[in-house]
Amino acid sequence: MAKAYNWQINREVNYPYEHERPEKQFAVVMDLNKCIACQTCTVACKTTWTPGRGQEYQLWNNVETKPNGFYPLGWDVKLMELLGEDQRWKGDRYEGKTVLDGTDTEPVLGWMPDDLDWTNPNIGEDEVNEPVDIGTVLEKFPHPIWMFYLPRICNHCTYPACVAACPRQAIYKRKEDGIVLIDPERCEGYQECVKACPYKKSMFNYVARISQKCIGCFPRVENGLQPQCVITCIGKIRLMGFLSRPGEEKRDNPIDFLVRIKKVALPLYPQTGLEPNVYYIPPINVPLSFLKQMFGPGAEHAVKTYMAMREGKEPELQALLHLFGSTDRIVHHFSAGTNEVIGYDENMNEIVRVPLYEPFQIRPHKDERLGVVRQDIP
Amino acid sequence: MNGLVVGLITFLAGLALSFGLELVSVKVKGPIPTDPFSKVWKKAKAVKVPLAGQTVTKPMEVNLPISEITVKSVNNGKEIAFLLIWEDKTQDRFHLINKFSDAVAVQIPYEPSADVPVTMGAKGKRVLILHWTAFRQENIDNGYSDVAKIHPNYAYDWYPHAKPPYRYPEDWNNQYALAYIGGEKVYRKNTLKTPIREVVAEGYGSSTWKDVQGADGRGVYRNGKWYVVIKRDFVEENTSNPEWGPGRDTFVTFAVWDGSSGNRGARKVLSYQWIKLRIER
Repeated sequence: MAKAYNWQINREVNYPYEHERPEKQFAVVMDLNKCIACQTCTVACKTTWTPGRGQEYQLWNNVETKPNGFYPLGWDVKLMELLGEDQRWKGDRYEGKTVLDGTDTEPVLGWMPDDLDWTNPNIGEDEVNEPVDIGTVLEKFPHPIWMFYLPRICNHCTYPACVAACPRQAIYKRKEDGIVLIDPERCEGYQECVKACPYKKSMFNYVARISQKCIGCFPRVENGLQPQCVITCIGKIRLMGFLSRPGEEKRDNPIDFLVRIKKVALPLYPQTGLEPNVYYIPPINVPLSFLKQMFGPGAEHAVKTYMAMREGKEPELQALLHLFGSTDRIVHHFSAGTNEVIGYDENMNEIVRVPLYEPFQIRPHKDERLGVVRQDIP
Repeated sequence: MNGLVVGLITFLAGLALSFGLELVSVKVKGPIPTDPFSKVWKKAKAVKVPLAGQTVTKPMEVNLPISEITVKSVNNGKEIAFLLIWEDKTQDRFHLINKFSDAVAVQIPYEPSADVPVTMGAKGKRVLILHWTAFRQENIDNGYSDVAKIHPNYAYDWYPHAKPPYRYPEDWNNQYALAYIGGEKVYRKNTLKTPIREVVAEGYGSSTWKDVQGADGRGVYRNGKWYVVIKRDFVEENTSNPEWGPGRDTFVTFAVWDGSSGNRGARKVLSYQWIKLRIER
């Protein structure tokens, strides 16, 4: 059993393989304050990768409502049960059990969803945390009545539970970009990965009889393009890029900036110990107790930073958010000016330039020249 | 810790129980039928092989869903066949989401030596595994287990591609999906004309499909028991073969999977001791 350092929980985890971090790590940042659950990402992924037989139920990308939505049913409630009540954090160090702490007979902690667990991807949609009393007013953050949308893809974990659990070593993590793939030729459909993945992002195709999962749109990534779910997002909540190794962060790398420098984007359930690489900007309307359980103790700082940005105190962060959804190319570097933000590729060639403010003009209610009153201006 | 203790006990019990067994492959004349109820099997002597849970590597099977398998063998000089019979109250003929298929396997070392690790060989000590699965038998007996068969009332708008059992048309414009998901090998695996697949391994976790798939067989479920015939030519053309044949004795072991107990892959019961296979000339 090799020991592997997990920066998200600031300690080592029990990973069964000798491990070297990939040169750069596929990572996606999603701003949960902006997701409207339109499911455009879901459909983009579905039509690209999973329209085939045996894939009917598969949503490599799904969007669920929290706290009452799940795909598959109850996935994160089961995860909390598996990790137990003793999920201690001492500062930024997690001291509880992780998914990688298997038993004498099982390689990792896991549970197996039944086929019916996958059949209600929209369960709990738009449901709030509790019934609303008459006279409830939402006037300040966090809201007493709340819900938010959680878009999910494979986390392309640094220490994937699927890799740890596969008895055939049919799953591998690519050195060049950290994307986790199942080898369809080695896979025998044992579904150990389905059982092991705490995010339940490995799914069994019962017609092809192999397990399948989000492939990070690797053919696009290899060509310098962001994945389908990212570029089709109409709310422009997503940005895909590469996270540097710990200690090698660069301030002009948008992912490094959001995840490691501003620490405004956080991993989903870091207590799994897998170092998941989809990072979420937590929703500011949600009480901190829930956010801390879901995104770790960094949630408080992230919410504060985001609130400050709304007040104009984080101009660089605010500028960077304008790059989300502005290009289908992968942004390796960015620079933020007072009027615009510029995205560059890996060779510092400019890809995109986005103005921070739309040009606007004020039209008076009464047009003196034409002698008319405008009725339809806001 | 309990799991490990139980596992160790079943492991040791398995070792002790199967020690000293010998299976004789009786010489018969003419082609060997794949019918498990053929008269040919009357000539062969049955050997009862005790089984134990797989507790060498994780994930383990610490229970004992199947505790014994009855084995016979015949050969006609060119091909060798095994008849495998075991009790299984549940017939599991499908491989679905969280549902697994019954299966059985015969393992033979390439080099006829009991020093080859019984746990699927080791680096440089290769084993041949002949693996029968109920879900492949089901495909052959009753048609491919496609969506319409598994979920007869399932409604789906349209399938743009991926014809059953699973192949994208050549002109499908997402070539990556073609290669990555609907690859040729996956298609070939699912369209084998036989319920037996031939696998080679050099240690657990390393089992790999052979390019040449020559083994044949048939499994029938009757009165709470599986009756499975697995047969193969001693020497197959254009591929590697174990050192065995009429008068050239070797060793065998067996593994059984009970689908409804969640058995698949490493979660299985097996005989932990090589059993001498005497092949009549």
